[in-house]
Amino acid sequence: MSKPINEMGWDELVPGAALYTFQGDIDYNIADMQPEERLYSETSSKAMSVGDWRVIKPVWNSETCIDCQNCWIFCPDTSIIARNKEMKGVDYDHCKGCGLCVSVCPTNPKSLLMFEEYETTEDALAKWPEKKKKGE
Amino acid sequence: MSTQKVIKNLKSFSTAAERFEGSHLLCPGCAHSIIVREVLNATNDNLVVSASTGCLEVCTAIYPHTSWDCSWIHIGFENSSTAMAGVETMNKALRNKGRISADTPQPKFVTFGGDGSTYDIGFQWISGCFERGHDFMYVCLDNEVYANTGGQRSSSTPIGSSTTTSPAGSHSYGEKRQKKDIVSIMAAHGSPYVAQVAPNKWKDMVKKIQRGFDTEGPVFINAMSACTTEWKFAPNQTIEVSDLAVDSLVFPLYEIIEGRELNITYRPKNIVPVRDYLGAQPRFKHLFTPQYDYIIDEWQTRIDERWAFLQKREEIRI
Amino acid sequence: MNKRVLELKDVEVWDGNMSNSNAFRQADVDVVAAYPITPSTATIENYATFHANGYVDGEVIMVESEHAAMSACIGAGAAGGRVGTATSSQGLALMIETLYQASGMRIPVVLCLVNRALASPLNVNGDHSDLYLTRDSGWISIDAFNSQEAYDMTLMAFKISEHKDIRLPVISNQDGFITSHTAQNVRPLKDEVASKFVGEYVQVNALLNFDKPVTHGVQTEQDWHFEHKAKQHAALMGSKKIIQDVFAEFKELSGREYKVVEQYKMDDAEVAIVCLGSTFETAMLAVDQIRKEEGIKVGIVAPRLFRPFPLEEAAAALQNVKAVACMDRSAPGGTVGALYNEISGALINTPARPLVTNLIYGLGGRDMTIVALKDIFRTLDKDAKAGKISGNIQTLVGVRGPALSYYNVEGK
Repeated sequence: MSKPINEMGWDELVPGAALYTFQGDIDYNIADMQPEERLYSETSSKAMSVGDWRVIKPVWNSETCIDCQNCWIFCPDTSIIARNKEMKGVDYDHCKGCGLCVSVCPTNPKSLLMFEEYETTEDALAKWPEKKKKGE
Repeated sequence: MSTQKVIKNLKSFSTAAERFEGSHLLCPGCAHSIIVREVLNATNDNLVVSASTGCLEVCTAIYPHTSWDCSWIHIGFENSSTAMAGVETMNKALRNKGRISADTPQPKFVTFGGDGSTYDIGFQWISGCFERGHDFMYVCLDNEVYANTGGQRSSSTPIGSSTTTSPAGSHSYGEKRQKKDIVSIMAAHGSPYVAQVAPNKWKDMVKKIQRGFDTEGPVFINAMSACTTEWKFAPNQTIEVSDLAVDSLVFPLYEIIEGRELNITYRPKNIVPVRDYLGAQPRFKHLFTPQYDYIIDEWQTRIDERWAFLQKREEIRI
Repeated sequence: MNKRVLELKDVEVWDGNMSNSNAFRQADVDVVAAYPITPSTATIENYATFHANGYVDGEVIMVESEHAAMSACIGAGAAGGRVGTATSSQGLALMIETLYQASGMRIPVVLCLVNRALASPLNVNGDHSDLYLTRDSGWISIDAFNSQEAYDMTLMAFKISEHKDIRLPVISNQDGFITSHTAQNVRPLKDEVASKFVGEYVQVNALLNFDKPVTHGVQTEQDWHFEHKAKQHAALMGSKKIIQDVFAEFKELSGREYKVVEQYKMDDAEVAIVCLGSTFETAMLAVDQIRKEEGIKVGIVAPRLFRPFPLEEAAAALQNVKAVACMDRSAPGGTVGALYNEISGALINTPARPLVTNLIYGLGGRDMTIVALKDIFRTLDKDAKAGKISGNIQTLVGVRGPALSYYNVEGK
């Protein structure tokens, strides 16, 4: 699109208020291409960020993570990035800080924990709790 | 029928290329999007999706942004099913006329509707679609309330739930009517496959979704959608509450094949008391008073009776 | 074009419903989703019979309500093909929200609306209450006065609806029973000619086009809604010119000429009526008779194109008359009738200041006779000579009981 949609007058908009997810035509099966290989248009919600919904955020500890993918499947916001059966990290543009990933993480200590939004990853990892003993 | 993608375990499932984008406007912790992701990731085929007016539609298609990486249509509140019937029929017509080549793989047609749309205002429409036998899958996102408009009762709202139009008070324990048995109703339409699923039991759910995709004809999936906003639990408890729902047998997971064979597909190792399920949701908190406590006992009796009924049907294969 | 061609005679004897059915058949509609309701049912029954005998390659689905019929048409149209359906009255009322949805989503659909009264009381006969209910729905709306025109308008409707600069749904109206069930001589185009005229369906933002995934039916709030409704309005208003072009193209094929505002003997008319539907043809006979018998120079104006309303053409047609009676065949709901409003609104910004009155007539299928029309003409003539309206602005004509008339701004 030559012009950002917010600058368009009624005459330039797509009739019927229809929205395109991708730029131009696509000649591949979408389900065969990971999102980073697709050419999204500005009207895909992917282009937006809801990171400002958060006051707390999940921080991921790759040391304790076992790549079980619980966090991946139960994230309502497609914000747990998994590639090649491995957990890669949190997409902070799209994470709303609901904390479900933390609640379903099975490791001990958990590999995802919620921290204040302003906390840096280094500080958060430095504060990581120890493994909980039985009965704790 | 196209070849189903093979999903051996959660790790292999996680290699799916997502077709439902973030930055939708659903509440943090919303089960709707967990369900949608599980459904869409269960296939690699082309998709046409429709949705009824409701949380999902409103939060994923507010101009100028769409969260759908596939073709999608919303018309109104009642008619997501009929919209898809139209699409499915046009697909048939265009293929018969050669305007879509026979080489083009068949897409999957999936309709999402809330319980308000499915059980109430859109019921006639779904009934018509199922009677006519359109080849599509209908997934009801059942959060037992008209969530999008602030939590009014629907015919899916269970007894004792406090909603804004069936509020609990000194003279009322909330909703007074039984939750409609939508799964049996849809099975009675002659649907080849109906099932009840819950997104926390992803393996059970994805297996049924794939079976649904593999089934020709109208498939009905009732998906429990624990709603943090209207059931009033914390956003990070969605999976925990869903676990309580299926482990207390309030939301039994089963399937009915050709309207006759009922299979229970999840048997909890430890059955949780219904009281624990109700206690986890402030929409039921008024039941935990001396005045309304008896409702909890009635709940347990009812759930026990229904579990016994489901087991009996499974046993005698009718 | 359908694989199996129906050999038609040069002159067929078809009622308005059969005219619709054949127009659908010739237009090679991809999906018809319909529900039966009197008096439009036969449009669909005839079509289903064509389908059952192999004359229709497309699909026919009989759905469980009229709302479902239009819903399925919208879904099928958005999927990327030609769709059509038919209904009347209560069915139209039931599907009314979907009409707004179809036009807002810019989905081409053709709706054969066989005009019938709206309950209550329940009535199956012809009046224009359902036509009027569609006024603000954003659809193009064209009126056929007889069975030939029903065929012509329904056929043209597909071409108009799908035009790349329009992409709006179209209603093809005809009077219930009076037109729909009256068999008349109809000169249809041959199948090949009709099919070529309508042309192939061109997909725009089709759901089944997987090269370009599209989201249809979004929500727009205060920051976007106006732009999209403005765009829709612009397309609707701009369609008039294209409709006139389609009329011209059709004239080349058929010899029949249509105008957005039809007129009869307006050249020297001193008084006129404005009406819709079959009343136009009855009035033609009444006009001829009274001109001969009593010398009253009366003419008829009928907006064949109801939406977008041809305001300028309607005003132009009435510049030289001294009195106009706007005849509305619909219960007026507490005010003056639609045609009175449209015509008055059209004239107010021109120099013409004829006397304008409103006649409510023919409700629930009550006939408007030549005798009654002549009385109306006489009143117009009398008022024109006196230079003022003799009674009130609005009168209900042809109802048994005490006279009912309303609105008098002269303080009588």
